[in-house]
Amino acid sequence: MRAVIRVETLKLTHSLVGAIATLAVIVGTPALLGGITAGVAGGNPDVIEKAGPAGTLGWNGLLAGATQITAVVSILGFGIVLAWMFGREFVEGTITGLFALPPGRAKIALAKLTVYTLWAIIVSFALTLGVLILGLAFSYGLPRAGDWAALGRLFILGVLSTGLAVPIAWFATLARSLLAAVGCTIALVVTAQVGALAGAGGWMPFAAPALWAMSNGTAVTAAQLGVTLAIPLVFAILSCAAWSRLQLDR
Amino acid sequence: MLAFKNVTRLFRGGAGVTDLTFTVEPGEIVALIGLNGAGKTTLMRLALGMLRPQQGSVRIVGHLLDAVTPEAWAQVGALIEVPLAYPELTVRKNLHIACLLHEADPSRVQESLTAWRLDPVDDRRFRRLSLGNRQRVGLAVAMQHDPQLIVLDEPSNALDPASVILLREQLIRRAQDGAAILVSSHHLDEVARIADRVLLMNGGRLIGELDITGQDLERTFFERIRQDDEQRDDVEVVR
Repeated sequence: MRAVIRVETLKLTHSLVGAIATLAVIVGTPALLGGITAGVAGGNPDVIEKAGPAGTLGWNGLLAGATQITAVVSILGFGIVLAWMFGREFVEGTITGLFALPPGRAKIALAKLTVYTLWAIIVSFALTLGVLILGLAFSYGLPRAGDWAALGRLFILGVLSTGLAVPIAWFATLARSLLAAVGCTIALVVTAQVGALAGAGGWMPFAAPALWAMSNGTAVTAAQLGVTLAIPLVFAILSCAAWSRLQLDR
Repeated sequence: MLAFKNVTRLFRGGAGVTDLTFTVEPGEIVALIGLNGAGKTTLMRLALGMLRPQQGSVRIVGHLLDAVTPEAWAQVGALIEVPLAYPELTVRKNLHIACLLHEADPSRVQESLTAWRLDPVDDRRFRRLSLGNRQRVGLAVAMQHDPQLIVLDEPSNALDPASVILLREQLIRRAQDGAAILVSSHHLDEVARIADRVLLMNGGRLIGELDITGQDLERTFFERIRQDDEQRDDVEVVR
């Protein structure tokens, strides 16, 4: 298993897709926050109104904005990387070389999911660190207890989003298509947003982590978060099973 | 090393392979020839577990297809259609990961680079290679772990004459060392130089062996195909 994880790590760390997604999340999110903060600091009433809770200068506004952006960007960025990790083997034809190997395809799929999870958790941590540095750079002072808690929720939101993207691995395998898997990623983001707007609340697993993080942990129960945690487990098992039973019959 | 017994695998629409029975023994090079669409690639996919038979059985290194152990898979090397190589990695790194995936010692990468004359491009990314160099990387990936069963689909595709000779030498040496080798090819002359047996495939069935000691291989090949097509047409008419 260790060898397959090394192989998947090499592939991800040398890929343009991995580098761009990492930069998009780690650099793109603080850049967007910087833009919003500049708009709010400039006193532009339109920007302040549209920014909502993020329209105030200080840790509260910065962290509210970071949570809103992370809820979308993390699933999108993580989903695209996962779509690429699984879908590329079919599109580039390398799937034929992943047969007749000692590790077996279920292990290869599990290694992909393991490397993806580690990468996404590191990116989530780096994003949280970036927001902290941004707040310090804006001279908001040292975060207080409530701000540290919000930073913690921001990191956990990234980790939960990592799991919410796992169905994309299964879909990429079924569809054997990178584009279809990217489409699935976009569908997940839309589902999460529409679910939140429609008031599905915490029982909508794709929206629950964002609602939880944005409500300071009050709007979502532990049971509802448990449903969210079940998603990666169920779809990881489905993905490994699909790879194990895979036949190149189409 | 490889044994098919009455193997049938049909796709929707009726294409596929029917009632295939043959073996490839250690030290033997078996070539598979047939026209496009004859079922050669389907047969090779069955030999590597990419497809499962609907009828019959496939044995790989002594194990039924559903029960092949990791140790047995480690003795198999294959190149089917696309090399197991990733465009973002250099040639050297691709060979390295192939060693890891085959549970082989990565220290043999240098030997493999030299054997397949890939030293001049070892630090070049796979995406920047010519077709011929890509094919040589695929062959190196398939054989650098010294497999006992080698399955190659059209291995001389895109190779220049020097590389074809290199491939021929590699296959003959590995067969002499005891490997069982199954290759498909369109090049009858090339096949005649290396193969111990040549299996003829037509319309998804094995229709016999080609005598490679004969003078005009192409004429013999096409005659056998024509006869098989006529026999099949007669059977259809009777039905």
